[in-house]
Amino acid sequence: MGHPVTTNPLIIMLINMTVVFIVLVALMYMIKLIHLVDPTKPKEEPAKPVAKLAPAPVPAPAPAPPVEEEGIPSEVVAAIAAAVASCGASGQIRSIRPVNREGWKQSGRMHGIHSV
Amino acid sequence: MEFINAFVVSLQSVWNDSGFAAFTPGNGIMILVGLILLYLAIVKEFEPLLLGPIAFGCVLANLPCTGFFDEMGVMLAIHYGIANEIFPPLIFLGIGAMTDFGPLLARPYTLLLGAAAQIGVFVALAGAMIMGFTVQEAAAIGIIGGADGPTSIYLSIKLAPHLLGAIAVAAYSYMSLVPLIQPPVMMLLTSQKEREIAMEQLRPVTRFERVVFPIVATIFISLLLPSIAALLGCLMLGNLFRESGVMDRLSDTAQNALCNMVTIFLATGTGMTMSAKDFLVPQTLLIIVLGLVAFIGGTAGGLLLGKIMSKVSGGKINPLIGSAGVSAVPMAARVSQMVGMKSKPGNYLLMHAMGPNVAGVIGTAVAAGTMLAMLK
Repeated sequence: MGHPVTTNPLIIMLINMTVVFIVLVALMYMIKLIHLVDPTKPKEEPAKPVAKLAPAPVPAPAPAPPVEEEGIPSEVVAAIAAAVASCGASGQIRSIRPVNREGWKQSGRMHGIHSV
Repeated sequence: MEFINAFVVSLQSVWNDSGFAAFTPGNGIMILVGLILLYLAIVKEFEPLLLGPIAFGCVLANLPCTGFFDEMGVMLAIHYGIANEIFPPLIFLGIGAMTDFGPLLARPYTLLLGAAAQIGVFVALAGAMIMGFTVQEAAAIGIIGGADGPTSIYLSIKLAPHLLGAIAVAAYSYMSLVPLIQPPVMMLLTSQKEREIAMEQLRPVTRFERVVFPIVATIFISLLLPSIAALLGCLMLGNLFRESGVMDRLSDTAQNALCNMVTIFLATGTGMTMSAKDFLVPQTLLIIVLGLVAFIGGTAGGLLLGKIMSKVSGGKINPLIGSAGVSAVPMAARVSQMVGMKSKPGNYLLMHAMGPNVAGVIGTAVAAGTMLAMLK
């Protein structure tokens, strides 16, 4: 058994933890590099709808035409879109449709809401 | 009369040559320890595949006059495999063939959790030195906190071979007790809100990444720390068998037949080091206590870095996966999953915890390598 470099436990701890972290951080970057140069990785989805991800806190992105087809006035669509945006949701409203007004289901929902 | 005399002399001779005549109270105690370990392995199912042969080896080692180590025979051959660091790398070959590095490759930053969990090793090292162990003995004891049996055996053979029995038993016992040791520490160091964090799904990892990683990791780590090249090289070779897709027969042998055979030899041989004169010393008790300190320290280290990473990521990382940084594959990852599910049913953390879990294996091997470079 040779002579150890040091016998101070604190120094041993510091040196060893530093080496362990350096080695594993280096390994981490190597993994990232492997991923970067990987010729077989699936290509990024082309023509991703950028507008979809664009922040749209205003009700403007709500697609009006399909909604109007169902007979919901554009003012109501605008109000719903504004309410959704004010809750912090991003993205696009694709459709707005009324909940089926079936008596028993509606009654059950109301009961459920009130019992909370 | 002559016949009776001859009969008595023969009987005396048989008795004097028997183990009963040389049997000591220490042997009795160690056989009892072996039987208790057998009970834990068979009835309580605590790591039975390892604890079973270790316990039986302990019983064998305490039968006097067997002459196991006097001349070459099967027991000396097994001991040779341990004393010359042959079995731990071969076990790593099997572990590598069984390990899926996919979660680690999908989230490389989980390597940091595997590094942080090594703090337990050095806390126990400091504790051992304060208690009067030499620095080499302390390093071998500390590595118990890595929760990696083969690495513990590998390091103790190199730095403190006389403590091998106690270190191996402590390492494997605590590995089997991970589901009991870790949850209280995890509950103590994390809040309910943190435990409920659901993590995003892992990205798919390509075959290219899976094949290149073991090759690159072997070259880089072995160049830096040549003393663990055998250990790490075997781990990565086994993994290459698995991931290449063209060495299925080798992969199958490494993870089944070979691994099982070497486990029998390694575990029995480790048990054979538990003779009364080596094991029944006050140091053994201290090693058991320090092993527990190392385990708790490692769990806490991984959790604390997990908490920091959770904060930095804006609450996208569940700190519970940090505790899996203490190797013990896959038990520690299962514990992360169990505690996560308990806090929020449906919160599946198993795959996320496998990243730090396999990182812990590499981290423990690196810690062992740096200690060998510094202390041998």
